[in-house]
Amino acid sequence: MANVQETAKDEPGFEPKIVAFLCKWCSSAGSDLAGVSRLQYPSNAVPITIMCSGSMSPMFVLSAFNKGADGVLVSGCHPGDCHYLKGNFYARRKIYLVQKLLQFIGLENDRFRMSWVSAAEGVKFAGVVDEFVKDVKKLGPQTRLKAKR
Amino acid sequence: MIDVAAIKAHAKALLEKGTVRAVIGYRNSTAGLLAEPFVFTGPESVDDLIYGPSCVQNLALYLVNDKKERAHHKSDDARPVAVVAKGCDARAITVLLQEKHFLREAIHVIGVSCEGTGVVDTKKLARKLGGKHAVEIDFDGGEAFAVTTADGVQSLPAAEIMAERCLECRGAHPQLADIAFGEAKTDRALHTPFQAVKHKMKEEQDNRWSFWARQFDRCLRCYACRSVCPMCYCEECVVDSIQFAVLPDTTAEEKANRIKWIERSPNRSESAMYHMVRAIHLAGRCIDCAECERVCPVNIPLRLLNTRLEMEAFETFDYNPGSDMNAPTLTSSFKDTDPNSFIR
Amino acid sequence: MTKRTGVFVCHCGNNIAATVDVARVAKEMGEVEGVIFSKDYVYMCSDPGQSTMANAIKDNKLDSVVVSCCSPTLHEKTFRDVTEEGGELNPYRCEIANIREQCAWVHKEKPKATEKALKITRAAIKRVQNNQSLTPIGVPVTRRVMVIGGGVAGIQAALDLANAGLQVVLVEKNPTVGGHMIQLSETFPTLDCSQCILSPKMVEVSKNKNIKLLTQAEVQEVSGFVGNFKVKVRQKAIYVDPEKCKICDDCAKVCPTVVPNEYDLNLTPRRAIFIPYAQAIPATYTLDESACLGLNPVVCGKCADVCEADAINYDMRPKTIVEEVGAIVVATGFDLYGKENLGEYGMGKYADVLDGLQFERLCSASGPTGGHVLRPSDHKEPKNVVFIQCAGSRDPESHCAYCSKICCMYTAKHATLYKHHVPDGQAYVFYIDIRSGGKGYEEFVQRSMERDEVMYLRGRVSKVYENNGSMIVKGVDTISGKNVEIEADMVVLALAMQPSKGTADVAKTLKIGRDKDGFLAEAHPKLRPVESVTAGIFLAGAAQAPKDIPETVCQASAAASKVIQLLSKDELMHSPAIAKVRLSHCTGCEMCVQACPYGAISLSGPNAKASVNDVLCEGCGTCQAVCLRAAIDVKNITQMQVHDMINACLGV
Repeated sequence: MANVQETAKDEPGFEPKIVAFLCKWCSSAGSDLAGVSRLQYPSNAVPITIMCSGSMSPMFVLSAFNKGADGVLVSGCHPGDCHYLKGNFYARRKIYLVQKLLQFIGLENDRFRMSWVSAAEGVKFAGVVDEFVKDVKKLGPQTRLKAKR
Repeated sequence: MIDVAAIKAHAKALLEKGTVRAVIGYRNSTAGLLAEPFVFTGPESVDDLIYGPSCVQNLALYLVNDKKERAHHKSDDARPVAVVAKGCDARAITVLLQEKHFLREAIHVIGVSCEGTGVVDTKKLARKLGGKHAVEIDFDGGEAFAVTTADGVQSLPAAEIMAERCLECRGAHPQLADIAFGEAKTDRALHTPFQAVKHKMKEEQDNRWSFWARQFDRCLRCYACRSVCPMCYCEECVVDSIQFAVLPDTTAEEKANRIKWIERSPNRSESAMYHMVRAIHLAGRCIDCAECERVCPVNIPLRLLNTRLEMEAFETFDYNPGSDMNAPTLTSSFKDTDPNSFIR
Repeated sequence: MTKRTGVFVCHCGNNIAATVDVARVAKEMGEVEGVIFSKDYVYMCSDPGQSTMANAIKDNKLDSVVVSCCSPTLHEKTFRDVTEEGGELNPYRCEIANIREQCAWVHKEKPKATEKALKITRAAIKRVQNNQSLTPIGVPVTRRVMVIGGGVAGIQAALDLANAGLQVVLVEKNPTVGGHMIQLSETFPTLDCSQCILSPKMVEVSKNKNIKLLTQAEVQEVSGFVGNFKVKVRQKAIYVDPEKCKICDDCAKVCPTVVPNEYDLNLTPRRAIFIPYAQAIPATYTLDESACLGLNPVVCGKCADVCEADAINYDMRPKTIVEEVGAIVVATGFDLYGKENLGEYGMGKYADVLDGLQFERLCSASGPTGGHVLRPSDHKEPKNVVFIQCAGSRDPESHCAYCSKICCMYTAKHATLYKHHVPDGQAYVFYIDIRSGGKGYEEFVQRSMERDEVMYLRGRVSKVYENNGSMIVKGVDTISGKNVEIEADMVVLALAMQPSKGTADVAKTLKIGRDKDGFLAEAHPKLRPVESVTAGIFLAGAAQAPKDIPETVCQASAAASKVIQLLSKDELMHSPAIAKVRLSHCTGCEMCVQACPYGAISLSGPNAKASVNDVLCEGCGTCQAVCLRAAIDVKNITQMQVHDMINACLGV
């Protein structure tokens, strides 16, 4: 197993870098609601608002890991609630494939996650981020796909 | 037994009548056992056409190349081109038709059966022959190949020297064909499909990563896999814009908007990204011709990687790549019943 | 990439500044490549804040701006207006970094929140530096409206629209407008006669010059987009010229075929040539081709022989009519939940188990019994009547999960009406809860209990069966905890409301969504209740959810006013942040065409490459994610921009 050195798990003080892709109409609005409700959750996940989870290119996920993300979250509207009618259904299929591929390659399962968060689910959003950050913290830094720069 | 003379006669007739402008097929190579793809343009040249277990290449690629060449030479010969197609080649052509890369009427498919066997794996054959040099290989009934070495002809069990993908092949007889030769044997898979993938999936994730890390470390980024893949017909690859096509209508903005998804240097992370993007882009399009793996100079098990998502296409989405040229593609369609439980 | 970016960091009083070091954000953003101006300010959205921004844009010749503040849903418009009006810069050169809802308000530790705010703002800078100047796309509108469904919702919407001066095409599937409301006897809680209040509106529909009424017609195909729909409508042949028909009934008298009358819920017969009821609009007889002995060749021909007005014409053929409209109101109404689903209540098996609409007809003066409540089986007056609420509603296990909303009220009305017709009778009501929210509703229910002595039993009925000509109703009274068995002369089920049978097809044709129960989906449950998700298509009435008449009328008028607002201008403005094809990369594989939720992409040109219809495209980017060749992007949120934002978020 030469060249494989990443065993660092649960480093003390490790703050994971997480990119959270949120669809504009549901999940980003849900995250706004979490804000309005003053819910507290870890600051590790930096949001990028995209128009629809359907516009989530697999390239974004792979690139984020390549640039050193310790975790990637994609969140969209619940099935049937998509502002664009069915973008989230395409997203579901694509993200499923990306997830299976990443797992096959050997990236830890908990580093990539998808969730459905509606505009009314501020509490759920905070919970999703909270849980995700906890899970990623357990894994330590993501070294497998990160580019050495 | 497939009648090669009949294939030849058909090809010859097509060229003589001028109904096609060329026949893409195989002929004996001057280097090694494997046949070489050849574009037959004159009726006499067809005498060299062969078909047998040495015809491993996916000729769909040569259709793609033919299209590129014709565009380059601004050819105005509107006649169709004929192509010899095994089951897998025909599936690849179906995917290309599905993606509107060709018009159906622009291609005359000469379907050929693999006779219940498949094509040879030269590495397996070399091991089997233990140093002896095969000069010819042919079908020998439904379960054996006739291999000619300096010692003469011997019959070897096909299952032992056949390409892995052929062992798992469920569609050895072309579904898409204007005319078909040989016996239609369906559902003749000798091994359980996706055997290697499933085996690999059972491994510990950390071990799987060690395995792939080793593979990606070796990648030279020679792009042979991409060059040999009939589905990699993009003018410019999204991960590596080495072939960026500057056309008369390319705007300055387009030139400026080339995204550098990965670095050019062949190191582990960048090669991993490259191969993963290829795997994702092949989801629902890869028809398992395994040419990528065959041509890889450093023996990266690319078939293992690329069939992982084909397994999902088949087993999760009930989607059989290359079976229906009129269906929407895997990723541009969905079902209400697609998996949902993986989403929190 | 732009080279003169300005960044404005808002304190939002203490809302942001308490947890984010705004001064540090402003300072560090000033050092980002291409940023030439960066400033924090206590309230960016205040008048002085806005002037600061406008002046900074002009003074520094900024070519792109980021405002780091609250959610873009709140002030994106404000700051884009400032950019355009004060700053004289294209508004699409302004982007918002949300550091309040998505940062300051959800974190406590200042250093961490500040780090995150830096990343969010830097990502917005990277995005805006590749933004293009865009101009909203103006689309001319057709100032005509189609209303689908001629029940009270459709009638109200059509009248409101017509009275506002818009041309209306009202499409109704049945031979007359009026819908279910015209079948009702009286309406709760005022007990005014349903026909008396609806028929004047129906007449108005037929008289109004702005309304074109197409009955026996169904929508077949819709193309186009908001402001410019093209709708193909197929109208059945009715074989009677409405202009000539004198409604003399001579034809029906000689017609040999007798079929059940749908308008009377099959409680009365009608002929093949018929008028549903006297007040039908359009006021004409109509020949039901499916019931007639034969028209091709003509088998009987008696009706044409006796018609003195010469109104009957067997040579009429179905017509396909194409209407161009700017907006569509869908008011396809409801049907009762299929009686075949409720075998345990004997529906469809026993003649004296009725649904609510049948009971309405029995109470109605124009009904089959001339306004006397009589049993269909033997025409005797029922002395004990059991009303069963929630028949099919609120039963997620085997029927509909939802509450049909109006049944509590109409059951109370039925029981009251029954008592008015049969003063010595006894009415029983099985209920789960009584939901009587509405003006005068609760008082009405109370009155039915107190004055009309309706016996309310809280519990479900398990079974209804016949015994010696009576119906035995077995149930449980959960309040006393006892099993109840009532010998009833008649049972009336308050069946669940479900979307009318054609609703699924209409939704599919119009490409508007439906909810899990099949009702038409509104764009937003609170704030856009009468808009569908597709721009230019509006919803009214029970097709959207179960509702009573006042609510339906409200929603119809609301939909009409939305349409009036939409069509009040000559041009519609469509967001310019739409998909754009890179022709050099497009191979014409059609994946985007297949995936586009709006059918906005098609292949065109000599090489059959993707081409986006600017007006149909909503900018969702689904195309961009399915394209394998990065040949299509949504303007101002391109893959390039997302790529740069990912880098900014990860500090690369």
